[in-house]
Amino acid sequence: MGLVAADLRVLGNLLTTADGRRVATSTFVGLALFALMSWWVADALVDRPDLLAMLHRETRGGSLQALIGYGLMACPLVATWYGLSLAQRQLFEAPELLLWRLAPQAAVRAPLQALLRASLVSSTWAFALTGPFVGAFLRQSPAPLLAWCMLPLAIVCCTMPLLATLLAVQVALVRWFAGRALRLVLTVVMTLASLGFFAWFLLALFTPSQARVHDIAAAARDAGGLPWTVDTAAAMLSAVATGRFDWRATAGAVGWLAAALGIFLFAARQHPRAWERQLEAAAGFGARFGRRWPAGAAGAVRKKEFAQLLQQPGALLGFVLFPLLVFGLAQRRLLIGGILANPRLPDCVATLGAMLALWFVAVMLVLYAHMGRMAVWDGPQWSLYMASPTPPGRLVRGKLAAIATLMLWPLLVVAVAGGHLLGADRSTLATFLAVAIGGTCAALGVLAALGTWPRLMRPDEGGHVLQGARNFVAAILLVFAFDLVTAPGWLGWIWLDHFARERRLEEHVVRPYAPLLAGAALAWGSLVGVLGAAIGTRHYRRLLTPR
Amino acid sequence: MNDRAPMLETTGLGRAFGKKWALRGLSLRVPEGELYGFLGQNGAGKTTTLRLLAGLLRPSEGTLRIAGLEHGTDGAALRQLLGFVPDTPPLYDYLTGRQYVALVASLWHVDRRQRDERCERLFATLDLSEVADELCRGYSHGMRKKVHLAAVLTTAPRVLLLDEPTTGLDPISTRRLKDLLLAEAAAGTTILLSTHVLEVAEQICHRVGILARGSLCAEGPVAELRQQHGARSLEDVFLSTAGGGD
Ligand SMILES: Nc1ncnc2c1ncn2[C@@H]1O[C@H](COP(=O)(O)OP(=O)(O)OP(=O)(O)O)[C@@H](O)[C@H]1O
Ligand SMILES: [Mg+2]
Repeated sequence: MGLVAADLRVLGNLLTTADGRRVATSTFVGLALFALMSWWVADALVDRPDLLAMLHRETRGGSLQALIGYGLMACPLVATWYGLSLAQRQLFEAPELLLWRLAPQAAVRAPLQALLRASLVSSTWAFALTGPFVGAFLRQSPAPLLAWCMLPLAIVCCTMPLLATLLAVQVALVRWFAGRALRLVLTVVMTLASLGFFAWFLLALFTPSQARVHDIAAAARDAGGLPWTVDTAAAMLSAVATGRFDWRATAGAVGWLAAALGIFLFAARQHPRAWERQLEAAAGFGARFGRRWPAGAAGAVRKKEFAQLLQQPGALLGFVLFPLLVFGLAQRRLLIGGILANPRLPDCVATLGAMLALWFVAVMLVLYAHMGRMAVWDGPQWSLYMASPTPPGRLVRGKLAAIATLMLWPLLVVAVAGGHLLGADRSTLATFLAVAIGGTCAALGVLAALGTWPRLMRPDEGGHVLQGARNFVAAILLVFAFDLVTAPGWLGWIWLDHFARERRLEEHVVRPYAPLLAGAALAWGSLVGVLGAAIGTRHYRRLLTPR
Repeated sequence: MNDRAPMLETTGLGRAFGKKWALRGLSLRVPEGELYGFLGQNGAGKTTTLRLLAGLLRPSEGTLRIAGLEHGTDGAALRQLLGFVPDTPPLYDYLTGRQYVALVASLWHVDRRQRDERCERLFATLDLSEVADELCRGYSHGMRKKVHLAAVLTTAPRVLLLDEPTTGLDPISTRRLKDLLLAEAAAGTTILLSTHVLEVAEQICHRVGILARGSLCAEGPVAELRQQHGARSLEDVFLSTAGGGD
């Protein structure tokens, strides 16, 4: 049994256990969702012959190649995302690496196995994202069987070269520059890659068909519109689909693959040294931070959350980038342009509304990460909590205190942005702060209740939390619950808007209501917060009881 | 014993992590078929030494030759001779014990008949036959260790490196392990192990080396060391050299 056979055996064995089947199911659900969305996007285009005709004209008959190229663009994006995020771990932190290194085989065998694993996973995801889209147009074409057979090859030719190159670069970087600085850089890149991938995905999903066709045509028109690998693979596939065989393009696509593998194998010879350097450089940041820890459990848990945050360069960077994002939104009046331009509302009301909307978006961006802090990220230490005599309420309190402090950041950033860029006056700022504090309390309640929900968050015996569909469901529930608890605000706004349509609102009329609004928001927020904390404590008790 | 050609030889071997030396100036000569034990306090450099010998770390200074081969130049040939049992074994969670042994055996080019024969014998000796077809993820700490040990022994290494092999093993398994190691050594395998259990060292090691803060502070057969230090037990020797230095 070789390494590849062993990995296949692992996949087979995985399906024989309940946990493994759960992982497999959630992965499958994730893939199916991606495939469904890909198909949905293609279907919306297939249903618009007018747009397709326009594309045909604009690309001078090359519409099939343009469409295939557009579909295949998902491959390098998946490769970038995977190559910079998870593959890095597989390359240096897989537990089996030790065995691979000890075995009497070539030094490149271990990294090659990591590349194979990464290629299999990323090609599968790329297939889910690309296959249905390209398939829809192959069917419409209609393409001969050979084209269908070559679709996987095209996907691999678009995914693997970039993945192999990225891994090769990482091996080289770690080999020569291992250390804290590199770790910081790689983590930052990793965070950006993940964020970028999901941003691209959402953008691509919600682009209207018309704009999409323009994008496709534009990419097909200018020479550098698509990466080379995608361009050659699209040429190869579209030729086959129309009954020709383009030897040049096929040789090109396979050539890219071979070249990247060559680069990888060259760099992989440095992998043993790189791995060694990585082990040495594993020390953390700022170990001196916080010598004097509080003695109480809640205080210690709070402090622990901050200390952990300091160890995560990605999270820290997020905190720094975050104000830039909010300031960018405020400056360009993105998302809030409609509110500010509403002529029926007095200035102070419009500004308050815009600031609250900004705050809402800002909180949405960080909420998911904070949910992890409640229970999931403590997976490896779970047995410690289970064994400790500390009442669950204290743990929840400590965690909520830490998150509350971190959630002051969006509040502050939006307040500053509002004061500077939107020209909010002092009383508007005060009202905003009060309402947003109420909202923060409500958000904390949601986090406490959902982030500890045993069904979604229970770490398994080994301390691992299952990834995949459960994550996805958790994220959706979180967004939904946060929308629900902030619904009074939204409803109030809609009512105000209606009211303003019938009668002109004057500033001196609405001003006196500001304290009332602030009080109501604070009361509502406290109610939701207290309720959520109570539910969270109950959940925590259930999480901590042995199964 | 020193008249035999050394199977393993280091001169001035040292390894630094950043500015800190984990091991410095280690010169060892271990002849074929010897059972050599490293003793030392936590952080003394035992694991570092074994990792250097296994080729997982590169020396910062000094040289290291095993069976006349060097890690840098004869990598695969040298690894073929070596077996390393780290304190946390690199098992595949989703392979069964038997499948794991098969994987390791194939990586070390052991043919199927020999593999099956050795595997059966080792699993029986180490009391693993009953769990051989369960997934490794369900194994206890000691079982994981024994499975990896069985896998490594299936490859019939000529030099066997063991990092704290007895931690986590029950008394019966410990006894079987000791017998197994003695038999292996008698058959010509050179064995280096690190341990905190002085009895193990006393009972099976031909020679022991005591490491303190990265260098060897005493070396020799247990009886000789006792005599030299005028001590009644290895424990006294250990306390006066490794711990009692200050
Ligand atoms: N990857 C590493 N990075 C930095 N320092 C290390 C690393 N590995 C070991 N060290 C240091 O080298 C020294 C020796 O460590 P080593 O693991 O060899 O000790 P040991 O004798 O095996 O201890 P134990 O009995 O606890 O297993 C220690 O001071 C340790 O901190
Ligand atoms: Mg050790």
